[in-house]
Amino acid sequence: MSEVALPGQTKRTGVGDAAVVRAREDEDVVVGGEIVRHRLSSRVIHWTVALFFFVCLFTGLPIWTPLFGWMATLFGGLSVCRWLHPWTGVAFSIATLVMFVHWFSEMKLTDKDREFLTPGGIIRYMRYQGDDSEVGKYNGGQKLLFWAAALGALGLLLSGIVMWFPEPFGNGVRQLSYVVHDIAFILFVAMIIGHIYLGTAAEPGTFSAIVRGTVTKEWARLHHPKWYRQVTGDAKKR
Amino acid sequence: MNSPGLQIRRSSAQMWGGGSGQRKMPVVSKYIDTSTCIGCKACEVACQEWNDLGNVRTVQVGSYQTVPTLHADLWNLIKFNEQTLPDGGFAWLMRKDQCMHCADPGCLKACPAPGAIVQYENGIVDVNPEACIGCKMCETGCPFDVPRYAARTDKMAKCTLCVDRVDVGLEPACVKACPTGCLHFGTKDDMLALADSRVEQLRANGFAQASVYNPKGVGGTSVVTVLSHGDHPEWYGLPKDPHVPTGVRFWKNVLRPVGVIAFAAAFFAMVGHYLTFGPKKPKEGGEKSRGEGPV
Repeated sequence: MSEVALPGQTKRTGVGDAAVVRAREDEDVVVGGEIVRHRLSSRVIHWTVALFFFVCLFTGLPIWTPLFGWMATLFGGLSVCRWLHPWTGVAFSIATLVMFVHWFSEMKLTDKDREFLTPGGIIRYMRYQGDDSEVGKYNGGQKLLFWAAALGALGLLLSGIVMWFPEPFGNGVRQLSYVVHDIAFILFVAMIIGHIYLGTAAEPGTFSAIVRGTVTKEWARLHHPKWYRQVTGDAKKR
Repeated sequence: MNSPGLQIRRSSAQMWGGGSGQRKMPVVSKYIDTSTCIGCKACEVACQEWNDLGNVRTVQVGSYQTVPTLHADLWNLIKFNEQTLPDGGFAWLMRKDQCMHCADPGCLKACPAPGAIVQYENGIVDVNPEACIGCKMCETGCPFDVPRYAARTDKMAKCTLCVDRVDVGLEPACVKACPTGCLHFGTKDDMLALADSRVEQLRANGFAQASVYNPKGVGGTSVVTVLSHGDHPEWYGLPKDPHVPTGVRFWKNVLRPVGVIAFAAAFFAMVGHYLTFGPKKPKEGGEKSRGEGPV
């Protein structure tokens, strides 16, 4: 049997991961060789949205086309999907609203960010030829993803409500809701495929920002130099 | 149901077509002559009884009509309309409203549940409650506003053209009950011939605009309706030129294949990008990286 741990003693005896502990509450701080990029609340919000997104996706796809009919089996059949999909959609909408409020203030587009609105800007970025020197915590692509996700979720919610409760609406509105729901979700999925790729394979070290909460200094210097300067500069002053 | 007429010709949400591969069977039809209907509603009662539907509370709508529209427990409704004619005359119009059993059914097109709406070889369009998920998309797909959601069962409900009676050689319950002979049942060819001869009669008797309502926009219907005022089907509550709704066709025929291709394209674009450019890494000699140099 181990000795009885007194409250005053346990505090100092545990061997914790300093960066992870720091990442519970704080963001944009240097801990050893790492920088905390997303504090715990940010990560929980992100993954809550992601969870509801994928449940919505996998319950919606078999309703959308029989090509994905096999997915319905994952949830217990198409009737379950038809019941689960709208309720998960409500949860997704709420989670997205929380995410929107959480990140809204950091996602204002600067003139430099607007390059990502042009095909040339996106191509330069994907060819790793963009000038990243003035990129802060979020680059233009990330900010656009944020706004597109918010807009897409709104479109999916509004059209989804019409599809869920079609009775009060005219036939034209119902047809429009199908088209809006389809276009919004097709663009959303294509966007998320890109998001997952950039967050994992294309830019190594990124995924840990949203799981562990931290990134390496090298990563920050490469992808977000301005943010890196700000964060490390602050750290030096302390 | 193993009889040849009830082999499935078409089914909702099928990827590779749902045909039975059987030889073509004669399509059956119901004939409705609105000019000899007396609005007695015997067909409504017969339908309720045979299909064992629940009671529907009647609604006073200012005419002899039982309820304003079709109901999940009322698949057959005589619609009454007091119509002032352009020449100042007056017509009291009655039409038996029910599923039209389209050759190109919008409900079947819109339905996302495999096998929930089927079209048999004999032309009858039917809801299979076991496969139905109660999503109400068939309501939007129907140009005649026929399918109704039954909260009691969480399924859609509509006229089956008494497929269970037809299957064993009986006529639909409503036809059986009709006292004036304004309803008949038989092959579609026979019913169309009957309708044509009745239209001839009507035209000879002063209804110059009499015609058969068998709209081409939905490939014709297995309910053949004789209208005395055939130039104004809307007086009878019928759309002038019904089609499978554009939004439903756009969704099924365009957005669905485009979406699947877009997903595949996005995925393979990412794979291609990785193979072409690889992951993003710091430049060689990374000590003096861009971030630390003078801005």
